[in-house]
Amino acid sequence: MLVEASLWSRCVSTLEAELPEQQFNTWVRPLQAVEGVGALKLLAPNRFVVDWVNANLLPRLGELLRDASTGGAPIVTVEVGSRNKAHVAQPSPVGAKPRRAEGIVVGARLNPEFSFAAFVEGKSNQLAKAAALQVAENPGRAYNPLFLYGGVGLGKTHLMHAIAHLIKERDGEARVAYVHSERFVGDMVRALQHSTMNEFKTAYRSLDALLIDDIQFFANKERSQEEFFHTFNELLEGQHQVIVTCDRYPKEVAGLEERLRSRFGSGLTVAIEPPELETCVAILLTKAQVVSIALPEEVAFFIAKRVRSNVRELEGALRRVIANSRFTGHAITLEFAKDALRDLLQLQAKLVTIENIQKTVADYYKVRMGDLLSKRRNRSVARPRQVAMALAKELTSHSLPEIGDAFGGRDHTTVLHACKRIKELRGTEQRMSEDYSNLLRTLTG
Amino acid sequence: MRQLPLGIRVPDRAVFASFLAGRDTQAVEHLASLARGAAGAAWICGPSGVGKTHLLQATCVLASERLRAGYLPLRELGPLGSGALEGLTELDCLCLDDLDAVAGNAEWERALFGLHHEMLERGGRVIAAARAPPALLEWALPDLGSRWAASAVFQLRGLAESELTRALQLRARARGLELPEATAQWLQRRYPREMRALYDLLDSLDEAALVARRRLTVPFIRSVLSRRTQA
Repeated sequence: MLVEASLWSRCVSTLEAELPEQQFNTWVRPLQAVEGVGALKLLAPNRFVVDWVNANLLPRLGELLRDASTGGAPIVTVEVGSRNKAHVAQPSPVGAKPRRAEGIVVGARLNPEFSFAAFVEGKSNQLAKAAALQVAENPGRAYNPLFLYGGVGLGKTHLMHAIAHLIKERDGEARVAYVHSERFVGDMVRALQHSTMNEFKTAYRSLDALLIDDIQFFANKERSQEEFFHTFNELLEGQHQVIVTCDRYPKEVAGLEERLRSRFGSGLTVAIEPPELETCVAILLTKAQVVSIALPEEVAFFIAKRVRSNVRELEGALRRVIANSRFTGHAITLEFAKDALRDLLQLQAKLVTIENIQKTVADYYKVRMGDLLSKRRNRSVARPRQVAMALAKELTSHSLPEIGDAFGGRDHTTVLHACKRIKELRGTEQRMSEDYSNLLRTLTG
Repeated sequence: MRQLPLGIRVPDRAVFASFLAGRDTQAVEHLASLARGAAGAAWICGPSGVGKTHLLQATCVLASERLRAGYLPLRELGPLGSGALEGLTELDCLCLDDLDAVAGNAEWERALFGLHHEMLERGGRVIAAARAPPALLEWALPDLGSRWAASAVFQLRGLAESELTRALQLRARARGLELPEATAQWLQRRYPREMRALYDLLDSLDEAALVARRRLTVPFIRSVLSRRTQA
């Protein structure tokens, strides 16, 4: 007997009416049915869904099928799987095509929007862009490996995709793969499970350029690090390009083998800093232009001033303004943008309190909160205290006397001095400049 | 003679049609557009009772008309471990409720990072709900927080006083009850102005009205509620 095409959908309708809605949406809705001769196979996304269906649904499903079938009820089985597995395993070939080597797919779809042309350059990222361009024009020869590092949402992934696009553009045959390190680990685990490690190795090691994102995800994964180390070496020896990104300087990634850290540092290491205000504005204007939205400059300045932690949040804020504008049909004006972002900005402003700043700074410099508020004046405490004061002035609307009070009853002139001192140090000491940026990002992100 | 109520209740379907959007119209419209096929990520936030779960379920239901969709209550699934997310990237639309329940847990966040990354890479849609916007949660992976922050984030405001009355009346009507405005306002003044609590209250009043074959007047409600308090 062939299970009637509508049988499963009829069962679904009944179950939808019978089960609590939440339960139905969680456990039943994601199921896919494959109806065969006298059989109904349910495909579930994972073993938890299989277990739940077996334990809670099968008896009732059996009854429903018996009632609904004209002949004998089909035999129901539940297993992990998907009807469109094959389709999913191979992302759509927009941009560079994922490479397949003996059954292993390497690399993700490239985002066509992430090109060099769409990358907004500023002081904070111009070195990284220049290095990326060099590498894309001379893969394997310019800087190898190229190590890009910086905080979240500053454009590392964008540059990687841009490199991959340009390499492919200049050489249509080039085998280029952009891989997130989580994906690398996942691929390797699957290869180990299915005893296809040789194919895995061949797939990765036969690339002309491997772009691997967020290698901090390799931390404490020894097997993945080892495999990556060998892949890395082989590619480098064959003069194939390797580009790596990370959220911090290679030497600072905890849980990464020393040999990998030193290899990462053997090419060119470039930092991407958080964008300055003008770059943020330019980024917003460019992003708006891409979606054909007329964004007045004053609105871009408003968003950039208020959302300063990273590009992703800028993008989020812009997206929100655009969504509101599309919905209401209103043109984007300063007042409109203020209104659209009012809730979010108010909420975020609440977070930045003097106490929060003190806590964050104390954590960052590994000193106690009590020390920041104490009278101690040795540099290990005084410097973090000055940083915290400068941040309090920049991020809160408290007056200088109020800030002084919050730091153990200090005079407002002490606060003023601290702000001036930190400003000077940021201009002369790279370490201070980085610390300050990191703290700013932590507090506003 | 007492009327015996049957143990059947008209289910309150969490769909867009049964959600009074009020001040959250833009959020509702954005989620509906994702459910109708637009790709991308969205984040809705707000305190308990503003309708986050309702909206996620409504998105899931609407998306299911054309896409493969699922709803995941992460607070409930938390004890199962992040393996509960396995295979879900194959869905076209995923609604993640109570994401803050697993934020800060490195294992969950790694799994969510992979899921978010892969869903968007495939042109899918992923919608999360939490009490606070992504920028205010404590993330183990700041990268995940910033990726969410890049999505369209909507702070739900819930219903204004007058809209709350309308919502209660709408709900009562769906149950075949007539809830006069004065009665609805009387309830609002005396009970927490939180939708879920008011809806639960309405359910018990519905049953009492059926048993007693009475209309929902203030004196009737007062007597039911005082009996309930005494019990």
